[in-house]
Amino acid sequence: MNLTTVLAPVAGAAFGLAAVPDPVFSQAMVGPGAAIDPERIPGEAVAPITGTIIKLHPHAYVVVGDDGRGVLVHLGIDTVQLRGAGFCLLAAEGDRVEAGQPVVRWNPAAVAAGGRSPFCAVVALDAVDGSISDVAVGTVGAGDELFQWS
Amino acid sequence: MAERKVSVEAEVGLHARPAATFVQTAAKAPFDVSIAKAGGRPVSAKSILSVLALDVRQGEAIVISADGEGAEELLDRLAEIASTV
Repeated sequence: MNLTTVLAPVAGAAFGLAAVPDPVFSQAMVGPGAAIDPERIPGEAVAPITGTIIKLHPHAYVVVGDDGRGVLVHLGIDTVQLRGAGFCLLAAEGDRVEAGQPVVRWNPAAVAAGGRSPFCAVVALDAVDGSISDVAVGTVGAGDELFQWS
Repeated sequence: MAERKVSVEAEVGLHARPAATFVQTAAKAPFDVSIAKAGGRPVSAKSILSVLALDVRQGEAIVISADGEGAEELLDRLAEIASTV
């Protein structure tokens, strides 16, 4: 059986996805996972798993592992509206990355100052119900274990 | 094989809520449902990973297809989701 350890892409306070102020994530419409309320300091969002960056937007990215499993990292809510302002790409679409490798530099404080939630959603794409476990709660550092995907 | 060609009208394209709604609707079908960009390779419309990877932007055309009992109705529903602003 596959077991994927998904890492926290950012440092902050970990919650269940239900805490995200956007029903697309909080109701797990995209998939199950976890959320992080990031520290309000500039930081680097890292790859949650080892694999290939199949999609890289300034505010969101998807890494697919060798087993075909994809994890979405979404930096902030409604941040697509920023059209990349305040986000600096540290990798390129198609790049192979190691879990924990920096992908995007951003500033959660600036996102919050702009009136948007900097909450970060980490979603196991196409995961079946009940396949997520050991979800971290409380303080996590970027690259710490966030949840297990069985 | 039933097929629809529609233009994606949501400002965010087929991402976030439109993508999630689209995939959730397709996933309920007991038969295969595929989505492709016009002229592109079809992928499963039941996979949020595949749909996000397809990266359909506002104004881009998609072709959705399915074969089975109720395929026409399902495609109508998916076309409506895709073409909703």
